[in-house]
Order: sequence, then C-alpha cells, then structure tokens
Amino acid sequence: MADTGAENKRNGEGPIEVRFRGGGFAPKSLRWVGVVVFVVLIALVQWGTESGWISALTLPKPSDVLATFVQLWESGLLFKHLQPSLTRLVIGAALGASAGIGIGVLIGLFSYVRAGLVPLVAAIFPIPKIALLPLFVIWFGIDEGSKYALIAFGTFTPTVVATYGAVDNVDRSLIRMGQSFGLSWFSIVRKIVLPGAMPGILSGLRISLAIAIILLVAAEMLGAEYGIGAYILEAGSLYDLERLFAGVVILSLLGVLVSALIGLLEKRLLGWRV
Amino acid sequence: MIEIKREDKQMKFNRRQTLGLMGAAAATTLAAPAIAQNKKIVVGALRFTSHSGSFIALERGYFNDAGLDVELKFFQAAQPMAVAIASGDVDYAVTAVSGGLISLADKGAIKVIGGALSEEKGIDGQKILASDAAFKAGLTSPSQLGGKTFGMSTAGSSFHYMGSKVAQAEGVEMSFKPLQKVGAIIGALKSGQIDAWSIVPHIAKPLAGSGAVHIIGDISDYLPGYQVTTVFTSAKNAADERDQTKDFLTGFGKGVSDYNSTMIDKAGGEDGVNEMVDLIHKYVYTDRPREKAAPSIINGTMRINEGSKLNIASLRDQLEWFQSEDLVGKDITLDTLVDGSYVETYEG
Amino acid sequence: MGMDIRLDGICHFYGDTEVLRDISLEIPTGQIVCLVGPSGCGKSTLLRLIGGLERPGSGRVLQLGAPPSNSLNPLTFVFQDFALLPWRTVKGNISLVLEDHGIRGKRSKAIIDDVLTRTKLADFADALPKQLSGGMKQRVAIARALAVNPAVMLMDEPLSALDAQTRELLMDDLVALWTRQPFTAVYVTHNLAEAVRLGHTIVVLSRRPGRIREIVSIDTPIGERRAGDPVCQRKHDLLWELLREEARAADEELIDG
Repeated sequence: MADTGAENKRNGEGPIEVRFRGGGFAPKSLRWVGVVVFVVLIALVQWGTESGWISALTLPKPSDVLATFVQLWESGLLFKHLQPSLTRLVIGAALGASAGIGIGVLIGLFSYVRAGLVPLVAAIFPIPKIALLPLFVIWFGIDEGSKYALIAFGTFTPTVVATYGAVDNVDRSLIRMGQSFGLSWFSIVRKIVLPGAMPGILSGLRISLAIAIILLVAAEMLGAEYGIGAYILEAGSLYDLERLFAGVVILSLLGVLVSALIGLLEKRLLGWRV
Repeated sequence: MIEIKREDKQMKFNRRQTLGLMGAAAATTLAAPAIAQNKKIVVGALRFTSHSGSFIALERGYFNDAGLDVELKFFQAAQPMAVAIASGDVDYAVTAVSGGLISLADKGAIKVIGGALSEEKGIDGQKILASDAAFKAGLTSPSQLGGKTFGMSTAGSSFHYMGSKVAQAEGVEMSFKPLQKVGAIIGALKSGQIDAWSIVPHIAKPLAGSGAVHIIGDISDYLPGYQVTTVFTSAKNAADERDQTKDFLTGFGKGVSDYNSTMIDKAGGEDGVNEMVDLIHKYVYTDRPREKAAPSIINGTMRINEGSKLNIASLRDQLEWFQSEDLVGKDITLDTLVDGSYVETYEG
Repeated sequence: MGMDIRLDGICHFYGDTEVLRDISLEIPTGQIVCLVGPSGCGKSTLLRLIGGLERPGSGRVLQLGAPPSNSLNPLTFVFQDFALLPWRTVKGNISLVLEDHGIRGKRSKAIIDDVLTRTKLADFADALPKQLSGGMKQRVAIARALAVNPAVMLMDEPLSALDAQTRELLMDDLVALWTRQPFTAVYVTHNLAEAVRLGHTIVVLSRRPGRIREIVSIDTPIGERRAGDPVCQRKHDLLWELLREEARAADEELIDG
C-alpha cells in the first residue's frame, strides 16, 4: 500500500481516502416509517373517496369506517361480537396448540410415533380446513363445537410440524450430557428437551395463531349469529363496505395483539437466548 | 365474501350459428328492431330452471331478433353475479332481492328493471320445511316455529326475509343460522342441526319425499304476491342504454312466454314439454342424463311473470323489512332500487 | 479406597469402519490418564465407551472396586462444548444434576456453594451461561462434575474450545484442584502440552483403527511441572516423534477411509 501512496505522490496527487463500501444490508429499527406509510395510505383513500375518483363501490371512506367502528363500540355490539369470537379463538387455539405440542413432542421423541404420524400430518396439513366445516358440523354440532374443532384442527397441524422440528433441533450434546449424569428419561424430556424446543415451538405458535384468526371467519360461516367473522361475512353479503372494513380492522388488531403477546412470552421465556 | 366466485365456462353463441340452428325463415319473419343490430351484451345466469327465460330466448334466437348478440356467463351463486353487474362485466341478470342487491343499488351500481318469479295463490310456490327431528317433536305447522332455528344463506338473504315474515305473521321469535350455501343448509336440515327452512318447490319436494324433512306450510300463505326474483341491470344501462335494455326485455319476455305456455299451460302438449326439456337440459342438470334430468326440470316449473311485470308493493315491503332489520340504510328509497319505466308495475 | 477402571480387549466399529482395535488399559485411582492421538483415532469414542454412552463392539469396560458411597454419578463427563443448559443459571445448571438424586434445598445449596468456591465461581451463581466467558463456562461444567462427586472424571478435550491464555489459566486451576484433592480422570486431548502438564500416564493411540501405540509415564509430580521443565520437554518431544507420522498419515486419509 505504501507503494501506491508513493506513486500517487509521484503523479502529483494527494493521498486518496479509502472509499467506504460497507453500507446497507444491516436492518435498522425505523418504526415511524411504518406509521407514516399507514397514515399516507389512509389519507390518500380519504381524499380519493371524498373527491370522487375512488367510487363508493371501490373503497369506503376511512372516516365512515371509523364512524362505523365508533358506533359499534357505543352500541355495545362490538363486545357482543368480540366475546364469542375471542372465546372461540382461545378455546380452539388452546385445544389445537396443546394437542399439537403434545403430538409434536411424541413424534420428536419416539421413532414409531414419528414413522406412523409424520405421513399422516403431512397428508392433513394441506387440506383446506374450511372444506371440512360441513363435516365438523355433523360431528360436533352446528353450535360452538364445530367452531372450536375447525380452529383447533387448523392450529394443530402447523404446531405439530413446528414442535417436532424444534425437538429435532434440540442440541444433542445437551441430551448426552443429561444421560451422562444419569438423569431419568422424564427429567431429560422435561428439563432439557422441552425448554430447548421452546424457541421453535413459540415461533410455530406465531404462525398457528395467525392461522387461527384466519379460520375464525371460516368457523363463523356456519350458524354463527354473533362474532367478528359473522359480522364480516354479513357485511360482505350486504356489500356494506364500511362494516366490512371495520371488521377487517378488528381482525388485524387482533393479529397485532396476539403477535405482541407472543413477543412478550418470548421475552419472558427465552431471555436466555444469546 | 366466502362464496365461491368461480365462473362457469363461458358459453358463447354467435348470431350466425344460432341462425343456422333456427333456420333462416324464422329469422326473417320475426321483425328485427330498427336500432342496434348485433349488439354484444353479456347476460348472467345460474344453472336453475328459473333462469330458463334467458336460455330459451338465446336458443330460439329471440335475443338475435331483438338485435342483441348475447353471451351467457354462468355463476355459482347470485351474489357474485350481482357484483359482476355492478362491475360492468355482466349487463343483465335475474336474481332474488337481497340486502346486498339493495346496498349495491344504494351505491348507484344497479337497478331493478322488471320482475321474474313471484308467489301466486293457487300456483305451487316456495315451501316451509321442518327437519324430521323437529317435526317429530311437534313442529308440524308454522305456528309452532317459536324458539326454533331457521336456516338461511346469509343475513339479508331472501331466506332471512321469508323466515322473518312468517315468524312475524305467527307472532313468534326464531333464531336465524347463517350457513352460506344452499347445500350446507340442506345438510344441516337433514341432520337436524337446524329446525326449519323455506325453499323453492323443486328442491322442497324431493327432500320431503325422502322423509328427511317435512313440508309444513306455503310461503304464499304469508307473502301473497311475493316478488321472489327480479330482472336487474347496471344503473348505467338503465339510464343510458334504454333501447338496448328494452331490446333485452323484449327478447327475454318472449323466452318467458314460451316457457310459461309450454311448461305450465301445456300449449304444445307432451311433445312441446319434451322439446323444452331438451332445450333446458343443455344448461341445467347437464351432469345428469336426460332421463334423470327431465323430472327435476319438470318439477321445478314455476310461472315467471309475463312481460316482466313487477310487483312494486312486494318490493316496497322487502325494502322496508331490510331497513327495519338495520341491514341496509334507512334513507334508501324505492326509486333508488327500482327503475319502473320499463315494465308494467302493479300493487299485488 | 477407590475405583479403578479396566479396559479389556475393546474393539469398536461404526458400520463397516473399524475405529478401535484391541484396547486393554488400566486406569488407576487418583491418577490422570491422558489419551492422545491423531484426529479420528477414536479417542473420544473410547471415552464414551468408558462412560457407558456407547456399547463396545467387543471387549468389556470393568469397574474394579466400589465407587465411594457418596458418589452420585461415578463416571462423570466434562465436555468440550461445556454442555450447559443456556436457560438455567450457573446455580441451576449444577442443581440440575442433583435434583434427580432428590437433593434439594439446603443440601443442594451446600454442595453448590462448595463446588462454586472450589472453581472460583461463587460470585456468578445467578448468571446465565450467555453472560459467561468460555473459560468460566468450562469451570461451571467442572463444578457441575464435581458436584456429583465422581469416582472417575471423563474429560473430552475440555480446553480445546478455549483460547490459549484461558487454556493456561484453566490448566492451573485443574492442577490446583487435583493437588488439593486428587481425583481420577481420563483426559482426552490432541494437545501434547496439556497431556504433559496434566497426565500421570499418557496413552498414545495410532491412527484409525486406534490401537495403543505407546504408554508414557511422567514421574514429576503434577504440582511441580512448569513450562520449560527439561523432563517435561523431553517427554513432549518423545510424544511428538511418536505422533508425527501417525498424524501425517491420518491427515492424508479420506474422512470415510
């Protein structure tokens, strides 16, 4: 390098500063940009619907959606719709996720269970669960049973796959350590395998619970008088875009809430991660 | 909207082929209107016998005679068809009045321009059904509907309207179960998941025949003159394409006349019926052989309004009911929904 | 009173590959036996056979004499990668191996305090592994091994994941530990300096299939060995002579032979 400098001097030029080329590719936390995008989009739609170049058939006025939402709140209907939906979501997702974690751990631990169930899970994973709704209605009744079943079934398969993947990924050297200290099988599962699989299980839950919210609308297709999904479906069949969007916004908020809850859980349970 | 939006294969018949089928003589004897020759329009249809007016008008060249080159576009359900009209993909169609239709009219997208199917005393119309379980438990007449569950496709559908009006007349309260699709409602009724429902006779009768459900009443006893389905188009067509709209109604009206006279009044005797079944079978129950399709087609026969007459009183009642249930805006007027300038209207 | 280990004609295969051939060896109480050899010679496998984590193809691993009555886990490993549970604190990692023996509460605390003091970790009882340096992590692993009062420590390249300075310091710690209270250990390493510093006996294995090539004893007491000590240096050179060819030949073999 010294040579280059000498040469530069000889050519009558000064030293050249090394060009920086290490920029980019490092995500930075710029939370406000997301907010700005939202605000700009909504403002654009508001302006477009008011000035008329977006027709009433294309999009509702954001201000009308807000008004619908406020009305929902004030009339108490919001909670009349939210309460059954949240119950369905919590019970269905709890059933599906706990069964999924249970079966997933068994698949991860026992070769026979793995050989027997992995093909089965692979076979039922791609089934659109909505297609099975009429069947669930026959099996579990048109009331809450079929709705719990649909949500549970929908969350079950991704949880199983995430869980046994997570169990497979538990550091084998930790298990060998447990064995070398003479820990019982049950202790190894409880103290090493399960905590070790927790990051994978939680990130699987993130996806499973989002699917549960998606399925909420499907679950409320059949025989639900109240519920956010039923509300959205009704708004859709009435071409009431304000109610439709108000319902969709509620689902989005629900999704954000669930994601935040899992984030909190991760912070509590996975603080040990590097 | 969860409803299946798949559109059936488009069927297209151009003027030349249809003329070939019909014979040149017929085409020249029937006077063609002066205005637009061979104007391309799209007509939406469901594969139901109640849409036969369009099938006949197309097959027998009545649309051609009216100067229209019609392309039929098939849908699985009425709702996507209404959206297709609103978006301008379809020009004319026949469907039941629903909250969705009124809402689209309110948005300035569509107009009802005529009537199709209506309930009439003395003519077989829609039936009120009870599930076997509910029937055995004592639901033998509509007066016992109190506290029962009534099936419907969605809130604001014609089923919702019918059930609600029956309950109102009987002075009882029912709960309504949205089940999205007719198939799902039938399944729920057969398995006793819901107690009651109402549906057109050609679906009601075979169901009752199997013993899984029971007919406990007629809708016409509660809603005499109920305007079940209407002819509708986009607001733009109704306002700016008056000639084309008139031409469509002319062609469609001829198809309806043929249907009524052949299938109900038996003007052509058995041969006439058979010929008509052959024609309709090209569009309806196409997955079944002719001999199996024929009884269903004949059973499904219902009188369609001559000249697309429209029962304005029934429409008013329906609009008011939708408003009272807070399903559509309270400020919508009948004039927003209906353009009564095309056909004869009556208060039935 | 102690427990010796005797290896009696151990042979071992992975599939069709012979990894160990006819290993017979005595590991006497209170001594550190180092296993050295070129990479892939099967020294870690031999350690797992001794510890019962793998079953030998033929031959037997024998315990001679009973382990001390207070030994919770007579054959105890110390791993190269430390194998600490990242979700447990230093204290929790040690209590892990006591819980299964029903040792909790006060008794557990006493043992933990003792081993943490012996490994100079008393101030870090509540730290998580991610907060510790490599050397500290391995000291936690050693403390955990001491907690079960082993008859024989099976140490699998315990210092290989550490940098040179940390390795020196930890060797001093091990020497101090042994001097205070002699323990029996089988110490696998590829580092001759470690072997010469810590081993009473150094077993040189040939390249695969691993056989015992030579057994070298060092009489200088462990506490008195220093870097540059002429006896140690001679032993080091001798070992290197023995290993050089094997290491070169092993280096030129395909991984799967």
